[in-house]
Amino acid sequence: MNLASPFSISLVAITALAFLGLPIGHAMIAGSILYLLLAGLDMGTAAEQLLNGMYSNYVILSVPLFILAAEFMNIGSMTDRLMAFCNALVGRFRGGLAQVNILQSIIFAGMSGSAIADAAGTGRMMQAMMTRDGRYPGSYAAALTAVSSVIGPIIPPSIPMVLYALVSDASIGFLFLGGVVPGLLMALSQMIIVATTARARNFPVEKPVPLRKLPRITWEAFPSLMMPVVLLGGIYSGVMTPTEAAAVAAGYALLISAGLYRSVSWRDFYNALAVSARTTASIGMLIAGALVFNYVITVENIPEGVKALLAGWNLSPVGFLIFVNILLLLLGCVLEGTAILLIVVPVFIPTAQALGIDLVHFGIVVVVNIMIGLVTPPYGLLLFIMANISSEPLRDIVRDSLPFLFAMVVALAIMTFVPETVLWLPRLFGYQG
Amino acid sequence: MNSSLRAMGSWLERRAENIAAAMLATIFAAFLLQIAFRYLLGLPIGWTHEISVVLWLWLVLWGAAFVVSEREEIRFDIIYGAVGPGSRRVMALISSFAVITLYTISLPAVVDYVTFMKVERSSYLKIRFDWLFSIYIVFAVATIIRYIWIAWQAVRGVAPDEFDPTKASSGV
Repeated sequence: MNLASPFSISLVAITALAFLGLPIGHAMIAGSILYLLLAGLDMGTAAEQLLNGMYSNYVILSVPLFILAAEFMNIGSMTDRLMAFCNALVGRFRGGLAQVNILQSIIFAGMSGSAIADAAGTGRMMQAMMTRDGRYPGSYAAALTAVSSVIGPIIPPSIPMVLYALVSDASIGFLFLGGVVPGLLMALSQMIIVATTARARNFPVEKPVPLRKLPRITWEAFPSLMMPVVLLGGIYSGVMTPTEAAAVAAGYALLISAGLYRSVSWRDFYNALAVSARTTASIGMLIAGALVFNYVITVENIPEGVKALLAGWNLSPVGFLIFVNILLLLLGCVLEGTAILLIVVPVFIPTAQALGIDLVHFGIVVVVNIMIGLVTPPYGLLLFIMANISSEPLRDIVRDSLPFLFAMVVALAIMTFVPETVLWLPRLFGYQG
Repeated sequence: MNSSLRAMGSWLERRAENIAAAMLATIFAAFLLQIAFRYLLGLPIGWTHEISVVLWLWLVLWGAAFVVSEREEIRFDIIYGAVGPGSRRVMALISSFAVITLYTISLPAVVDYVTFMKVERSSYLKIRFDWLFSIYIVFAVATIIRYIWIAWQAVRGVAPDEFDPTKASSGV
């Protein structure tokens, strides 16, 4: 590569600006403008790409709506009822509350598409419950909530999958289906770790909830439990587009929080809107920057260049997947997940296609990688959030999350090498891949 | 003087947030309306779709220009988060200079593009595209002013806020 070419200079500029602490969206827009300037192209193209890209993409509208749905769920008392339900089911086992934590993450995952929202929404209550009377060490509880939140965007709906669909043109409906088994696999790997450590560390057992109380507890949690059914049923019966389903999810969450559980004030409602609007603007800037920079990447034909380069290595499909896994896990330690998804992943998609790797399979492997990146230090957003909520030292939380990290990497390896774990369910629904 | 200026600033900030929240509420309502019309009344409508796409674009650029604070921006903090206030000032100064320069020199071409778009109108509501896309100019100018302010603060000796990753939510 010519080091004085406009592309190299703009790439260096973007990297340098990002390292200097400029917000990543601005760094990408500024660097792309620099490229257009040096290459003698029309600088108005930056605005053109950003505006048209944002305007013509319908699927992406589900992002703000999924964010809003998660906020609406978090203000209601949906969380309390779901927790009571999970406790009635698995609280009676050794390490019961730890299993409750994972089970409620699975249920939440079926409603929310954001790991960050899950941790922020349920983290405080989970932390308080688990550490009451010194039941569990604070750092262990925080680590567990961080790792179990990872399941959120793997089981549909999922904001990262929407972003992947945006850069890969893979079907969002089949991606959602493809995430179900891997999400359960991740949960299972975590439950095994809890079960084994629960004995060794002598974790407490919760007072069993009498079976006669179960119908009532289930009934109270029922409207929340129905949400994934409404959501996914709507998408797969073809009644709703995934984008409309996101709006329905938000509407449904608001309806049961406000209407049924009567726990939403106007202030709560406004705050949920304002917080979601802020998050939307932040993530939207990343998407906007990526749209502009991806134009530069396309003009320079970079993905084809990477394809040619990797072809020179004679990688097998499995070798390529191992390479991508390692690269993404390493990047996940230092970079923000959305940025990896929007900037790094598109570069590898043509190669994956050329090697005959299914794009839904590839997408799920990529998303799981990025989710694991949320709990790997030094830059692990979920670790930061739980350190903040629990006031435990980050170091201790990292230490307690290591066994789970190991288990999740094993689960990732299984879904990487056995594509059927991902593709079985989409094929059942008619996916031709 | 200074305190009344600050009070005005935070008043404006809250109003900007009100507007962003209202835009999101409208997107949400437009979708519900669209679904209701299609399935309950059997009347597919297209203008709701157009409203939500326009507002999504406006929400992101408006929010980035006036609502999202420096603390909430998604950034790469390996170095930025580790250095002291002095180095952070220098770093802010360099990156502000780059943003101000590049956004400013691209501004005429951007204005050209946006005004050129007056020849097209949106499909349902027949809004001229130069109006729809004008938000980019607002965004670019606001960004330039924001970074002039950040650079000025850095020169005066006020270090930019420390980065708080838990505030910088990207929605994943």
